[in-house]
Amino acid sequence: MSIKIYSTPTCGYCTMAKKYFDSKNISYDDVDVSTDRNAAAEMVSKSGQRGVPVIDINGSIIVGFDKDKIDSLI
Amino acid sequence: MYDVIIIGRGPAGISAALYTARANLKTLVIGQRESALKRASKIENYYGFSQPISGEYLLSEGEKQVLRLGIEMVSGEVVSIEKQSYYEVTASQNVYTGKTVLMATGQAYSKIKLQNLERFEGNGVSYCSTCDGFFYRGLTVGVLGYKDYAVHEAMELEAFTKNITIYTNGMELQLTDKFAEEAYRFKINTRPILKLEGSEALQSIHFKDGTSEELDGLFVAYETASTSDFARKLGIMTRDNSIIVDENQTTNLEGLFAAGDCTGGFKQISTAVGQGAMAGKKIIEYVRGLKKSDKED
Repeated sequence: MSIKIYSTPTCGYCTMAKKYFDSKNISYDDVDVSTDRNAAAEMVSKSGQRGVPVIDINGSIIVGFDKDKIDSLI
Repeated sequence: MYDVIIIGRGPAGISAALYTARANLKTLVIGQRESALKRASKIENYYGFSQPISGEYLLSEGEKQVLRLGIEMVSGEVVSIEKQSYYEVTASQNVYTGKTVLMATGQAYSKIKLQNLERFEGNGVSYCSTCDGFFYRGLTVGVLGYKDYAVHEAMELEAFTKNITIYTNGMELQLTDKFAEEAYRFKINTRPILKLEGSEALQSIHFKDGTSEELDGLFVAYETASTSDFARKLGIMTRDNSIIVDENQTTNLEGLFAAGDCTGGFKQISTAVGQGAMAGKKIIEYVRGLKKSDKED
């Protein structure tokens, strides 16, 4: 499974999303879009918006920390 | 350092304070004088009063009760809560540190209605400067608001851009001294707003007098910071803009409790008082647990 979390260090829901995957022992790529401009552009292109977190699970995009949607995709 | 900082001076907050203070916890209550309860002219369903009472009377008696116990109470707006190893609460006049925080902030404010505001959410319109501010590095941004919270958000955005305007939507700025001293360096636009415009993303803001300005981002900080605003920044779990708590009034964040209308459910004075009491009890246990583990270390 390929999971990428687009996040920033100051976003509460980003931390929660990462903790949620940690609690399930599921690994993911954590991308800090506050420092990586290319990743930020990629996130906007994938999600069509500029709010974090954005979670890419095998190409399916979730905007925000939506536990139900995450559960349905993992 | 306070053992507990209670945000909200309504029935839930005061009820909790009565318990924490009597258990000798260093307690601070921060709250504004305006509340939904204050506007209730006749309360007939609260225990112990044979005649109808007003919300204002109940609030004022609650405050007297708190002051009689020597609890510190501060009037003001809370603009930010940050979690470090402890909680840092920024209010109108000062920054306070607490081992725990109780959110007893009452009912959420209704969202400001503005043409196309929702259309550009996530594409120019944001409710969280600390989450999304970096996307507007070097761009032209606005903050929608007229109180301390708006100035606080503008200050947060200075890390990313210097081109910041505070749009008050026809309101006069209502700032405490501390934030009035900071507001001078931002452009202030007091014209009533007609609508937001753009194609895929926000591009401009239009005013009722027919003028407009180009804008890349608009951060909404209208009125005072709401429960949802704090939740977004801290990562508190919410449902329908209400904080999710368990039967002990604990949230998903360690050391952060919530009680009263901000938790949704049956929004009554009696339930707020009950939840406040439970929160007070659980905060006492939590703080005593911290002190015990400090001694063991």
